[in-house]
Amino acid sequence: MAFAQNEASGEIVPPQRIDISSLPAKIVDDVVVPVPSEVFGVLDKLGAPNWHSVLRKIENNGFGERPQIALFLGCVIAEGFIAVEAQEPEEVKKIGREVLNLAGAIGVRKSVISRTNSIIEAADKKDWPRIRVELDGAAQDVKQAMIELKDEQLAQLVSLGGWLRGTEAVTDVVGKNYTKDGAELLHQPVLLDYFERQIDGMSPRLKGNRLVKRVRARLADIRPLIEKPNSVTTENLNQINAITRDLVKAISAQDS
Amino acid sequence: MKTLACFALVFVCLLRLPLSATIDDALSFALEAATPYVKAGYTVREDYWGGDLPVKQKKAIVHQLFKGNEYWFWLGTDTEGARISVHIYDSEGKLAEAESWSNKPHMAAARIVPKATGSYYLIVEIHRSPEERTRWALAYGFR
Repeated sequence: MAFAQNEASGEIVPPQRIDISSLPAKIVDDVVVPVPSEVFGVLDKLGAPNWHSVLRKIENNGFGERPQIALFLGCVIAEGFIAVEAQEPEEVKKIGREVLNLAGAIGVRKSVISRTNSIIEAADKKDWPRIRVELDGAAQDVKQAMIELKDEQLAQLVSLGGWLRGTEAVTDVVGKNYTKDGAELLHQPVLLDYFERQIDGMSPRLKGNRLVKRVRARLADIRPLIEKPNSVTTENLNQINAITRDLVKAISAQDS
Repeated sequence: MKTLACFALVFVCLLRLPLSATIDDALSFALEAATPYVKAGYTVREDYWGGDLPVKQKKAIVHQLFKGNEYWFWLGTDTEGARISVHIYDSEGKLAEAESWSNKPHMAAARIVPKATGSYYLIVEIHRSPEERTRWALAYGFR
């Protein structure tokens, strides 16, 4: 893979093709998990989804274990993105307050105070683009604070919780009005690989957690449904929806 | 308003930079490269990649992209005199970017309008540098 330089413009000219399979594993880095609005935005362009029907009221059932709180925090942040799509300012404010509560429950409250205040303030002004930015920022700040507390593995569960709730919402919307382009948004094998690798690399105590084990097992069930391009049929979509709905319900339940 | 919010984000990120030379310094150049595109309606993600590389060694980053969006990736380095680039390939190894540039000091960028939803490879490279290892940071935005 050789890069040339265009003498006139000074631009680096890249090769038209590279051998992906020959890239050494050590040079391939981890993935960034997309924010739900990257997918929701495409659905908006494809039609006008009824986000109100997807939005779910947040119920705090007073959780105990930290892995469950981290997963739930991710789900709540994803719910915030749905509330933005539904343009529900009161729900956004409630979600902002809940993000603060959950961050407090895992010891990183300080890291999100300013973000959650901004979310609430922006919700009052119905400033939806700003709320999207602040929700993304809140997720990053919480994860960064966890990493600083040497809780990186718990931070990964925040991303995973967000992905599960976001995927449930996407399958819900696309399932109600199936289009090939909409269904194709679920072709995300690289993210499944990433989450599976993250869980497999966790401490025995964390990956032995009942809820984390359940999530890991169901991720393997999702894989064949989304692995190949253009493979997400209506049936696959319904199955992914059932799996993610079941997991989000377990994450939100008091006795998980 | 969206533009204003995103511009504010970039500005806040710049304000948060520490004085010591870290990846954050490289990130500040990546975000500086992003500024004109933010004005064009791109939402900049808060998440980013960063590290350091010797000259001629590449870094590949796998990224999930969605058909229907348009993405810009901005690469920055704080090393004076370094020459860097970022290019985007699809999962078959075919160059997939719509455009790219690499002829500005401290920065390079590439844009893609994905033809399919799936995984793409971002190839980061340091072509020239006065330092043994060169710090870099990569940010991205979408619309």
